[in-house]
Amino acid sequence: MALLEMRGLTKIYDQGKIEVPALRGIDLTVEKGEFTTIFGPSGSGKTTLLNLIGCLDRPTAGTIIFDGQELGGLDKKDLAMIRRHHVGFVFQSYNLIPVLTAYENVEFAIRLVNKYDKKEIRDRVMRILEAVGLAGLENRKPNELSGGQKQRVAIARALVKEPKLVLADEPSANLDSKTSEEVLQVMAKMNRELGTTFIFSTHDPLVMEYARRLIEIRDGQVAKDQRRE
Amino acid sequence: MFLTKLALKNLARHRNRTLITASIIAFAVFFYLLLDSLIGGMTEMSYEMIINYEAGHLQVVTEEYWEEEEKLPLKNLITPEPELMAAVKNVPGYLGSSAELNFQAMASNGINELPVIGRGINPQDFAGVINFTDYFVEGGMFRAGERRAFGVSPAVIGKRLADLLKVQTGDYLTLLVKDKHETFNSIELEITGVIYTGNPLVNESLVYIPLDVAQEALAVGDQVSKVLVRLENKNRAPGVAKELAGQLQAINPQLAVYSWDQLEAVTVAGAKQMGNRLIMTIILLIAAIAIINTVILSALERMEEIGMMKAMGLQTKEVIYTFVLESTGIGVLGGILGVLLGLAGVGVFTVVGLDFSGIIDMAPYGIPVVGTIYGVWNPFSFVTVFAFGVIVSLFSSILPAYWAADKDPIKAIYPR
Repeated sequence: MALLEMRGLTKIYDQGKIEVPALRGIDLTVEKGEFTTIFGPSGSGKTTLLNLIGCLDRPTAGTIIFDGQELGGLDKKDLAMIRRHHVGFVFQSYNLIPVLTAYENVEFAIRLVNKYDKKEIRDRVMRILEAVGLAGLENRKPNELSGGQKQRVAIARALVKEPKLVLADEPSANLDSKTSEEVLQVMAKMNRELGTTFIFSTHDPLVMEYARRLIEIRDGQVAKDQRRE
Repeated sequence: MFLTKLALKNLARHRNRTLITASIIAFAVFFYLLLDSLIGGMTEMSYEMIINYEAGHLQVVTEEYWEEEEKLPLKNLITPEPELMAAVKNVPGYLGSSAELNFQAMASNGINELPVIGRGINPQDFAGVINFTDYFVEGGMFRAGERRAFGVSPAVIGKRLADLLKVQTGDYLTLLVKDKHETFNSIELEITGVIYTGNPLVNESLVYIPLDVAQEALAVGDQVSKVLVRLENKNRAPGVAKELAGQLQAINPQLAVYSWDQLEAVTVAGAKQMGNRLIMTIILLIAAIAIINTVILSALERMEEIGMMKAMGLQTKEVIYTFVLESTGIGVLGGILGVLLGLAGVGVFTVVGLDFSGIIDMAPYGIPVVGTIYGVWNPFSFVTVFAFGVIVSLFSSILPAYWAADKDPIKAIYPR
């Protein structure tokens, strides 16, 4: 069953007198529960594609259907609501809130969803922190955590609300290979256990190893789309 | 609720910056309270100076005289008839009344001349309205009907005038005057007392002589410039003035009654107070600039975080809320600190006061106050300046917070 359907997706950046095409008519379908990696050289349009899928940006042309809903007609507020309830983000620089503990950073995401009571929030946050291997570190602030631990918090934050889709932009870029592998194992585990759809954008061969679907983007177009068992 | 918690935690994020901004607000609030207390004290004191040493609570006078009072004319005078004085003495809260005749004169010590204001008074009545007893630095007030050797009239003058003319008790002084018919005349005086009051006008310009001597020299018969009235309570003066004016219409339609708050000096002091409040408001606006600066700095360094919050689905208004709440928190912190400092500062001012005599002469600025000025407590100012500090912090953060919160999430997440 398709979670995402993209048809003729085009994004052109207007930089004064020059128009820079980032995506040139992409057609893609992503099924629910897929563990997909988008790769390609710098400037190929990976991040732009991720931003459009994540409702952070709007296409210049083409359509995106997210879980049966066409995104084109939605306003800023509606897009924010889709992000809040159905999309989790993991960025390379973690973007944790430094004044909040690991627990509170994760709690923040689930509080926004506003559908659980206090006890359930606590149970869910503790469960996800344990699942990403951060049990016992929940009261630490980001500056008291290693890079890998921070990224685990970011993953927990993205997953705690049980979104339909997690978008990870270069999640291993700031991590060493051992930590990268640990973080990827966590995400693969979450994908298996929760059935959450993951889409990565990366250059990292290690991330590609974990992916069950590899999509290569070149010059704003899909150059290769390969599924693996 | 979580956003509130986040905003409060952000207050502690950059403790130094929060403290510096809160200190600026605290300083503005503190400075405002001190100035307000001091200006309030100065105004109150200047009112008291005018009432106690110059004007009393009420003045019965003709409207025409009131209009031209600055020129000290010898026309449009009043006759203190028994009926008039009886009505004056029957006003509620009456303590005393005194008729006086004011005139322009040149005071001469035989060598130098200085322009002065002559004031003919009846010393017994005068004491019922204006009490100089404790302010004589030499001699004392002359008695009713008193004449010195060779029929010379007694006089009381201010200390500053005595210094300028280099005279003291027992010395002679000549007042050169023009009478009602514009004829020159002179009044020979012997100084029987020198006073130093809190009112610069009294100290520098006034020469008190017996009323009958002044009336004779100025050829005004038994007329006087005005009748001063002292009441038990100055706050009742405006109401009593209205009531008495109504009664006096039946005696003489030209008569009017003015209360102390209608005196020009009082209105000028009030206007100055308004000006000072404007300055104080500017001080608080400077605090607003500090808040704007802090919010912008805070937003700039948290741009990626704001981007992440928007990616998580926060709406612009929710991001604004966190910034505005944070700034309001700084305002509350600064306000509390400022009010505490203000309590201490105003407390010191009300007890110890501030001695202006060694710093600045206030008389040229139209503030009839000399010596130490004491502050006054104004609880309303504490409440309003605290609220103003918080509100300024809140409103001054809205625009920069909007600027930060409305950023495109992609530009916020990837600022470079």
